[in-house]
Amino acid sequence: MMGIIYSLNTMAVARFPKPDFTSGYEYPEIIHGVPNELFWNVMDIVLLIAMMGLVVWAAYKKRGRSIILSMSVVSVLYFGFFRSGCVCSVGSIQNVVMATVDSDYNLPLYVLLLFLLPIIFALLFGRVFCSGVCPLGALQELVNVRNFRLSRAVSATLSMIPWGYLAFTILYAATRSQFLICRLDPFIGIFRLGGDIGVMSFGILLLIMSIFIGRPFCQFLCPYGALLSVFSSLSWKKLEITNKGCINCSLCGVACPVDAIRPPQSSKMKEERKRGVKRIILFAILLPVLTFTGAVLVGSQSDALSLAHKDVYLYEMLLRQEANPELDEPLEVETFNALGGNMEELKAKVDGIRSDYEFYSYFAGAFIGFVIGFKLLKLSLKRGRKTYEIDMARCTMCGKCFNYCPQNLKTSK
Amino acid sequence: MDRRNFLRTCSSFLAGGVALATGGLLATKAKGKEGDVFWQIDPYKCTQCGRCETDCVLTVSAVKCFHANRVCGYCDLCGGYYRPNVKELNTAAENMMCPTGAITREFVEEPYFEYTINEELCTGCGKCVKGCTSFGNGSLFLQIDQDICQQCNECAIAKVCPSDAIQRVSNDNAYKLKDHA
Repeated sequence: MMGIIYSLNTMAVARFPKPDFTSGYEYPEIIHGVPNELFWNVMDIVLLIAMMGLVVWAAYKKRGRSIILSMSVVSVLYFGFFRSGCVCSVGSIQNVVMATVDSDYNLPLYVLLLFLLPIIFALLFGRVFCSGVCPLGALQELVNVRNFRLSRAVSATLSMIPWGYLAFTILYAATRSQFLICRLDPFIGIFRLGGDIGVMSFGILLLIMSIFIGRPFCQFLCPYGALLSVFSSLSWKKLEITNKGCINCSLCGVACPVDAIRPPQSSKMKEERKRGVKRIILFAILLPVLTFTGAVLVGSQSDALSLAHKDVYLYEMLLRQEANPELDEPLEVETFNALGGNMEELKAKVDGIRSDYEFYSYFAGAFIGFVIGFKLLKLSLKRGRKTYEIDMARCTMCGKCFNYCPQNLKTSK
Repeated sequence: MDRRNFLRTCSSFLAGGVALATGGLLATKAKGKEGDVFWQIDPYKCTQCGRCETDCVLTVSAVKCFHANRVCGYCDLCGGYYRPNVKELNTAAENMMCPTGAITREFVEEPYFEYTINEELCTGCGKCVKGCTSFGNGSLFLQIDQDICQQCNECAIAKVCPSDAIQRVSNDNAYKLKDHA
């Protein structure tokens, strides 16, 4: 690997003088195209608002699935295939995190709106964005035919994954290491008709799964969905399956692909009140314990995690090279040496990154622990219901239950 | 109003407050038109390692070779056009630096030749750029063609670039051209 010449010129070196043309030659004018991003960004935001508005109208006023389904088609075609999926609301979490920690990063207003608008809609009406506006959700919605129900325990456990995913996403974005969501986006390869083969096959596997299970990505992976579910559970309006009075026929519960419809249950406890209270106190103690344990567990791994940062990895590579000089130099090491990189400077930089990592991994671990503890606490609470009700945190507003409800089919006179 | 509803309303307002506060805080930071949307290569940092050709998410990379005519020496023996140590200066394929034949040249006047890049054929491998910066004026350089680029939220080549030459740039400076420097 010898003899690679890096001729890095900080100024344009003129080894050969500018030619004197005598034949009246003129320099050609080459125009390099710049797409009109501003126009498309405005278009994206307008469509985002319009489509979310339409879904709200379809779900709350019309109680029909057809509009939501056609929105899904529009979303997959426009946001997915035409705009090729980038930047999306799910990924915008990372830009927002980066803008919060890094004052040098210029957050485009458009990306901020992509992040905020679905949250605002979730606070008002629930997860409208997930319904038929998010191209990732819409793609799974369109292929879903059957829904085999996972057991409550399995689905509750799996639905912890998005929170862990979110914690690591924030960790990697805040340390400016990588955009985890973008790297692991399972469907972007399908929208672009090409990409990393591993991630693409995972995407295809997920898509095959979503034929049989309602929206596996939204339920068990999407970190933005997890974020929206919090705002959605506190939403201003609550979605009702019918406005003509529930007759407890249970059809809607069978139809729901994401298990978001809760059957009626009596508020009376089968167990003794004292035992229940004891359990809640136990979980309330467990919550800070889990938070602390999570922080210690993930925090202790911060050095290993920091290898995801390019500079830390380079530093490790340089150390390895120093120890075994007989090995072939990787391109990164070669470039670092050729550019006259300063090991001391790099070490100072790496130390800074590592201390950032330490802080954020403690935070990420504590966050994961807290979420698990909170979930346990929430699962141990029981609330009485007289009729079938929609769990706003889980409901992705596909609209399937509306068509199943016999009360909705009655013509109102 | 019972306790449950009271708590719910309180947390709703809290959540709304949090959303509005983050929104407002970030809105003061957000730059409308000037926000950095595009990715671009700084030609003065680029080491022509060849990863632009292989690591772009597109099958044929969005990175293309650009030519700054005003920097070019219009030489007959061009380090970007011919491979090093060619025996004869003719356009036989074995003499060409470009693996796809994307560089064409036209005789202007004795002894000058004008070089043109056919972007349709260019794969962004940077072989010609390396030749030109090593032996010539450095008028050939790599740039991301913004018309082709998918503007990924995280650029896959920026991630693997050994010299950190790929950075976000604003709408108004979508290219870093050598002729205007």
